[in-house]
Amino acid sequence: MKFSRRFERIIRWYPSAWRARYGEGLAALLEDTYGERPVPRGVRVSLARAGVVERAREAGVVGSATSPNDRLRAGSLLVLCGWSFFVVAGAVFAKFTEHWSLATPAAHRTLPSISDATVRGAGAIGAIVVIVAGAFAAPTVVRLVRTQGWSSIRRPVLRATLAVACVATMTTGLALWAHQLSYQQRNGGLYPYGIGVLVTGVAALVAIATVTESVITISRRLNFSRQVLRLLSSLALALTLSMSVIVTAVALWWASEAMYAPHFLGSNIGGILDNSRAMPPALVIAGLLMLVGLASATVGAARVLGGLKGA
Amino acid sequence: MTKRALANADGLVRANAPAFLILTSLASGPKHGYALAKDVEAFAGVALGPGTLYGAITRLEERRLIAATPIEERRQPYVITATGRTALASAVRDMRALADEGAARLRLRDAKPQPRPSASGAAS
Repeated sequence: MKFSRRFERIIRWYPSAWRARYGEGLAALLEDTYGERPVPRGVRVSLARAGVVERAREAGVVGSATSPNDRLRAGSLLVLCGWSFFVVAGAVFAKFTEHWSLATPAAHRTLPSISDATVRGAGAIGAIVVIVAGAFAAPTVVRLVRTQGWSSIRRPVLRATLAVACVATMTTGLALWAHQLSYQQRNGGLYPYGIGVLVTGVAALVAIATVTESVITISRRLNFSRQVLRLLSSLALALTLSMSVIVTAVALWWASEAMYAPHFLGSNIGGILDNSRAMPPALVIAGLLMLVGLASATVGAARVLGGLKGA
Repeated sequence: MTKRALANADGLVRANAPAFLILTSLASGPKHGYALAKDVEAFAGVALGPGTLYGAITRLEERRLIAATPIEERRQPYVITATGRTALASAVRDMRALADEGAARLRLRDAKPQPRPSASGAAS
């Protein structure tokens, strides 16, 4: 690829294989069209969008040109991406709902109790599904390392390990600090602690994104057997079902608490996100993350079903 | 023409579909990206943005409706293939059938074609 540096950044939105095939032609078109003038912002945005679409096509996320196997793989990865949103949202939800039963009248605890237990149960099932999927994928990863060497996956593995180590260190530090604080200080009384909680939360979010990206990068290099791919796809469908159950249970818990214990929804996280309405920001954020995750998983599940049908 | 025929045309039947416009342009000879964009703008009044143009070129090449020819001064020309001609002919027939149906319903069958106003479509 020798296209001008001027257009290099614009064309970077496209996947490398596409750039190798069409990059030169596109750069020539931009040069012929705009000459020495700057490329208009609207065109840059349009090219960025087109590049992202091209990446999604290459990954098998959209388009019908990919093989059923590619669709199964891409669909399963999309479901995994969706699950990563649920990990973050689940942590926020778990923190927010601590001691909810103490604040809820005994006569109105049945529905939120069932909902809470369902969220935890479906979350545990989801986690088991991900672990089982990892176990099924492990032999293929070992085979890749044996045939192509450790260097083939070193970068993404190191990136993910570093991200997880950072978050583990921050969480450990925060936990040690928390042990020296009173209940009030831990729950909004000490502003720096609240900031620490928020920063650790953001770091966890970044770490989860990094780990997910690394898993996607590695799994795209794996040559799964048809049998393993079908198994992973079935697990992806089960994971999507778990996520649907979690969203439904969270919605029921939320509605029930808003009706019978609205004062509880005024709780806060680390003194940063707090108010006293039925739409607490922490819960809204968790809900939105879950919806985004479920949307991603649903699209993935549809790809998986399409792949299974086309197989 | 049945709905199935329309579906089979794979998006080519829409007169402003980039794929249809590109195939129509290439029907008169090979062209590279810039020449294609200018030609489409001239005969259809549609300004295809670079992203749209290359997205359509990618799909058309994947479906073997067009093919790349040797690069000329960094510019990559494309040529319509035999399959592309067949697809374009099919799309043109479908469009003609639709246009005839519309004309009949509007009782325009005897009307002479009107010169095209200075159209300025946009597809970025």
